[in-house]
Amino acid sequence: MKQGRKLAMAMSRTLLALVVALITANATAQSNQELVIGQSIDVNTFDPQNTGNTQVSAVLVNIFDYLVWVQADGSFEPVLATSWEQVTPTAWRFELRENVLWHDGRPFTAADVEFTIERVANDDSLFEHDSFASIVDVEVVDDHEVIIHTSAPDPILLNRLGRKGGEIIPRHYVEQVGISEFATNPIGTGPFKFVSWSRDDRVVFEAFDDYWRGRPHWDKITFRTIPEDATRVNSLLTGEIDIAVSVPVQDMGRIESGSRARVLPQPTTRIMLLFVNTDASLPTGDPRVRAAIDYAIDDQLLVDTLMDGLGVPTLARISPGISAAPLDEFYGTYNYDPDEAVRLLEEAGYGPGDLTLTVHGPQGRYSQDAELTQVIGLLLEEVGINVQLDIREFSAFQQQVWDPGRIEGIALIGHANGMMDSWFALRGFPCGGAYAGQTNWCNPEFDELLTASEVEMDPAKRAELLRDAFAILVDERPLIPLFQAENLVGVSNRITWEPSVDEMLWMYSAEPREE
Amino acid sequence: MTSFVIRRLLQMIPIVFGITLLVFLLVRSTGDPVSLMLPPDAPLEQREQIRRALGLDLPLWQQYGIFLTGIVQGDFGESVRYRGQDVLSIVIERLPATLELSAAALVVAIGLSLPIGLLSALHRNSWLDRLASTMAILARAMPNFWLGIMLILAFSVVLGWLPVSGRGGWAHVVLPALTLGTSLAALLMRMMRSSMLEVLGQDYVRTAKAKGLAPRRVVLKHALRNGLVAYLAVVGVTSAELVAGAVVTEQVFAWPGVGLLAVQAVNSRDMAVVQAIVVLSSIAVMLMNLLVDVAYALVDPRISYS
Repeated sequence: MKQGRKLAMAMSRTLLALVVALITANATAQSNQELVIGQSIDVNTFDPQNTGNTQVSAVLVNIFDYLVWVQADGSFEPVLATSWEQVTPTAWRFELRENVLWHDGRPFTAADVEFTIERVANDDSLFEHDSFASIVDVEVVDDHEVIIHTSAPDPILLNRLGRKGGEIIPRHYVEQVGISEFATNPIGTGPFKFVSWSRDDRVVFEAFDDYWRGRPHWDKITFRTIPEDATRVNSLLTGEIDIAVSVPVQDMGRIESGSRARVLPQPTTRIMLLFVNTDASLPTGDPRVRAAIDYAIDDQLLVDTLMDGLGVPTLARISPGISAAPLDEFYGTYNYDPDEAVRLLEEAGYGPGDLTLTVHGPQGRYSQDAELTQVIGLLLEEVGINVQLDIREFSAFQQQVWDPGRIEGIALIGHANGMMDSWFALRGFPCGGAYAGQTNWCNPEFDELLTASEVEMDPAKRAELLRDAFAILVDERPLIPLFQAENLVGVSNRITWEPSVDEMLWMYSAEPREE
Repeated sequence: MTSFVIRRLLQMIPIVFGITLLVFLLVRSTGDPVSLMLPPDAPLEQREQIRRALGLDLPLWQQYGIFLTGIVQGDFGESVRYRGQDVLSIVIERLPATLELSAAALVVAIGLSLPIGLLSALHRNSWLDRLASTMAILARAMPNFWLGIMLILAFSVVLGWLPVSGRGGWAHVVLPALTLGTSLAALLMRMMRSSMLEVLGQDYVRTAKAKGLAPRRVVLKHALRNGLVAYLAVVGVTSAELVAGAVVTEQVFAWPGVGLLAVQAVNSRDMAVVQAIVVLSSIAVMLMNLLVDVAYALVDPRISYS
């Protein structure tokens, strides 16, 4: 039929025109002064004391400043505080930097420090309150000097101030506009100023000309929310974004084979761990069975086969950069001896196939989490243990296994160290503590060491106490650490930037790369 | 007619109630927002404190009561993920993005299905018809998720013609609209084809042909107008399908609409937001269906609801 052919012709002509238009409408090229970062989640609030999320703090770090900054190696860099000293066991004096301006041009003073720290220390509805609860008062000496009083000697006060929640917020602005307006339209003292936020889409910052360290290199930085891993990687490959956070291991080759971007490893403080229920009614109540589980699992094999070599085996929940951590003794090493595992099981009265063990694990929370649980199950079967795998979607795992303490054998989980400190890694293990429901483990000797460390101000003595506490955990195994996990970050070849262990996206340090 | 509309609107009330109860219980049975917000080693007191602050320590019936009283006053509560921001405004600010995407997808669906369906009917059992049917099955079978990623790989990564993700100029909407519209296009194409075939077999069409009218006039003037009635009804009803498809498509393309909000809210167990989206979109679907029924009666005088 004639009209049919005509219709078909018209259609193909329209299609052709569309294609031509598309070719000319190429994706917009970015200017040299603009940086775009792709994250998997959106900023949930610009109130740094109430976010509760490291990926959000990673963005906020660009518009706020801390008093001190905990660096990747665990040392402290002066930021808004230029110097500090302990004046009594429970009081620290901080000299504050002068000539620091808020983004609205007003000067930064001790009143802002008092306002910020007292707010987070007193308001227990804030997500970061827990880290600051030991602070009782901030005393303003003059405009550029404060004394922070703690309820007891606090050896890790600087760690608290230099992490999530320690961002100093402007008293005058918050009092003027209210906290909920501040939470969506913030100002800070950081290198970038807030411009706009459209939820689940993008956050835009621009350079702050009067930043005290000097104007940042970039005129504008944009944090985009791209939840889908594949899409984030593709956006990096086309140059739409310059940094792609959390790149899946399987996409590494795809990025490296192009010329546009590279993949950088980002060590984290997250340790993948097995929690063990040591309740006497369970086989895992027997220390020999727990030791056998430890000896049966080849941590390096897990890292090599499942994580593409990205990770470092460890015997304790520690990694480089964590203060007071016995790295030499427990980090970079692991127990693996299947023969010893078989022997220990026999000693405990279990021949091959006699012991049945439940291995719980979450799915969709950590890189390769379900696969890790499965391979651990296989390794345990190698030494003659019957394994029942129980893998659940992460929130179901949390609600049905982890929170109610229903671990029937061992459970996989990953724990990061937000405080970058050893005590923080141990604080859940005392009798009746946060992990009591999961491990049913209680050791008064451990509790004594931990309590003593909490008020020990001599760093060397404190490290010794914490080392001994770690040694008890390594020996008794209420948890069996596997390895320190590494993230992958995709970075465009047009910039130089190094990811850091604290996972912050500090864009002040990014620079264009000369080619 | 008016009494029909009023009756239908009244019928919606118990349905909406049922939906509120269902979504309320479902959201609560799948996980706890507090355990997702805090690190797994957070102290128990902190968990309890936050649970209290969010009202999650109250008995379920009391929480449901608060939820219902709020809805009646147009208050869907506060977002957990967005730390106390008003839920209704969070959902409403996402509507333009989703409407833009749905409209573009509908253009794709109609633009493909109408001419192809028409040609298939006119050239029944020709190679064109067979090709179109095969493509339709393929298009129906491809998951949105997969199609979206394939389109990105082809048109953005390899060819470099279109942006990968996000919302911006018209170029940004092309791939998501194709992804979302393709499956619907296949369904509508089949609908168009069968509806046209039925009409073309009618006596009045034969009469028109016998009168010696130009074939073009017979098809466009006599057959198409009647064939379109059923087609448009299906367009109306199935456009609700777009809402469901948008959830996946928006996630793949980082398109900041209601669908992406829904996924993120479910992932963080942001109960109030999930509840608001489900309740509001069910009302929208019911209104859409009612609208289609009314339009049907207006277009086709043979149908009456009295």
